[in-house]
Amino acid sequence: MHDWIELGMIALVLADVSLLGLSLLSTCIRVVAFQGILLGLFAVAAQFRALSPRLFAIAAVSVVLKGLIYPWLLRRAVKEAGVQREIEPFIGYIPSILAGIAMLGVSIWIGGRLPLMKGQDLPLVVPAALMTMMTGLFLIVARKKALNQCLGYLVFENGIYAFGVAAVGEIPALVELGILLDAFVAVLVMGVAMYHINREFDHLDADRLSSLKG
Amino acid sequence: MRGIIEIKMTYSTSFIWLLLIVPAAAGLACLVLPSPKAALRTMLVGILAAAAAGCAVVATAARDGRLFAASGWLFVDGLSAFHLAVMLIVVSLSTGYAWIYFGEELRSGRLALKQARQFSGLWCGTMSAMSLVLVSNNLGIMWVGIEATTLLTAFLICVHVTRESLEAMWKYILICSVGVAFAFMGTLLAAASAQGVGIEPSEILLWTNLRSHALSLNPMLVKASFIFLLVGYGTKAGLAPMHNWLPDAHSQAPAPVSALFSGFMLSAALYCVMRFVPIAEAATGDAGWALNLLAGFGLLSIGVAASFILFQKNVKRFLAYSSMEHLGIIALGIGLGGFGTFAALFHTLNHSLGKTVSFFSAGRLGQMSGSHEMARLSGSVKRSPLWGLGLFSGILALIGAAPFALFMSEFQVLKAAMDRGSVWMTVLYLTGLAVVFIGALGHAISLAWGKPETELDPVKANGLERLLVLVPLCALLLLGLWMPGSLHALLNDAAEIVGSAVTKAPDAGRP
Repeated sequence: MHDWIELGMIALVLADVSLLGLSLLSTCIRVVAFQGILLGLFAVAAQFRALSPRLFAIAAVSVVLKGLIYPWLLRRAVKEAGVQREIEPFIGYIPSILAGIAMLGVSIWIGGRLPLMKGQDLPLVVPAALMTMMTGLFLIVARKKALNQCLGYLVFENGIYAFGVAAVGEIPALVELGILLDAFVAVLVMGVAMYHINREFDHLDADRLSSLKG
Repeated sequence: MRGIIEIKMTYSTSFIWLLLIVPAAAGLACLVLPSPKAALRTMLVGILAAAAAGCAVVATAARDGRLFAASGWLFVDGLSAFHLAVMLIVVSLSTGYAWIYFGEELRSGRLALKQARQFSGLWCGTMSAMSLVLVSNNLGIMWVGIEATTLLTAFLICVHVTRESLEAMWKYILICSVGVAFAFMGTLLAAASAQGVGIEPSEILLWTNLRSHALSLNPMLVKASFIFLLVGYGTKAGLAPMHNWLPDAHSQAPAPVSALFSGFMLSAALYCVMRFVPIAEAATGDAGWALNLLAGFGLLSIGVAASFILFQKNVKRFLAYSSMEHLGIIALGIGLGGFGTFAALFHTLNHSLGKTVSFFSAGRLGQMSGSHEMARLSGSVKRSPLWGLGLFSGILALIGAAPFALFMSEFQVLKAAMDRGSVWMTVLYLTGLAVVFIGALGHAISLAWGKPETELDPVKANGLERLLVLVPLCALLLLGLWMPGSLHALLNDAAEIVGSAVTKAPDAGRP
């Protein structure tokens, strides 16, 4: 089982790097959905010694939300806005990937220093989670389209989710459901906001939302 | 005897449930009501009913010390009871004001049914979420509550969809969601720091457990956790340098919403930080590490806000920066420790009162002249003596003019800074206050008695409007001169929870 988890973490990091280099929005959405499904499986795999119905239920909710509902909502937003890709991000795609490699280095360094997951032979989990969080933040800062920022937020959330599974293990079901619900509503609210922004401004460029200053 | 105590316990815990459920139910009902008037009325009734339940909770907690419900997941102690009291005051006043403000919009035909439903539903939901933050013992649930307030209030900013309000809302939702996600990371790290200290895994996030095991938590993870929490909840509290969303959201939201934001939502986020202060302090050996960090953020916020206040042209943006300054003062007070904690909590109450009345007045004046630009609002006393004078006295109270209570609490924070013997903190704090005093006084005088741009007919005010201005201002005057014994006891209680030394740590994790 350890090998599978490690393999999953490598896939998670590869997904992060590919997000940094992709410009086509629909592909980005697919990659984020893939991450979400991966993390649902990871939550089950991490507790494979003590499987419980509760665990499966929460993992199932999380997979359905992240793998099916979010992509559906976001794809609708893409269709309505009529944007296919982000042409000129603040930080170009090649520099983004280079930044990603630097972030990976930093995550491995921090992950090695944090006294987490003692006694478990899983050296990749914490670095992969940190890398995913940093990728999410980077996407929020480095991209102009509101939709990309929303995707960045989801990637950031994915990273925190992975970190939570790794570092804490068992979070009470009620708390976990509350968190999932909040994230779901956040995506919904952002989706509606994007709909309005697109209708009022005829574009989804967050950097051009700049009339309020001082 | 035991039976009586148990009955009393269930009796008072049911009020906690009522406080959470009544506004949520009223909010849901508002979404389907057939007329705008009915929606607003349901909101008013629901909020006032919940506020009555909340008063019962505060009174019981103030008398008995600690109140538990839902097998330890919900609890109210001095700190939460005090914040709950502040919230109830702010929410009740703002709801009454919203009734007037949106009633006026209804009369002038600017509020459609959909907007009225949306506003009243979300408003009630926000109260429910804020109560959840204050009464949860489980830090995960507390986080859920804070994130819920962010999401529910997002659409309150753009009740009227305009380009500016959409821009403000997008900044708000993105910056605060990401900020609050940082806080969640901090919560996870706090849970991770408690691995292997002998707390049941399912109860690891209970504050009472973390507090009583604070000495055995992993100090390095606690430090990491506190940094994440401070940045995360600090974003929501509008501390510099994470404050970028604040002036935009405050200036674009309808006035009742701005009043709620400034009056309590910011303090609710800071309350979450306060919860973690004693844990972080105890776990890192009471060396003042967490306190210094908080004081630093506080001073920075005061400085940034002071420099921005001077150049504001929009009255609501000006008030927003003033909120940032005051949250900075509260953070500084907590960070100074000792007597500063008491002063900071007292300042929380005073700021909430002063800021709600200022936003009320600014909102109504803006409604009358159709703009919140200060140039357009000058000479407002002539236009409406009640709201014009309300705004002037509100600003006067906010900049710390004696004998309003804010003068007292700001003075107490100053005393705490001097007691600690930190010269540069004292100097920075006083400089900030002085700059704000001069800048804001200039704004206030021209707002009240400046030459009006256009002559407009005076507007009369009704009884409820008078009440909304006079009650907070009189309370501020009274608190500046005399503090009731029960409030003093509650503040002491709350301050002890934030600043208590480890030796006094409560031993029982569960009721």
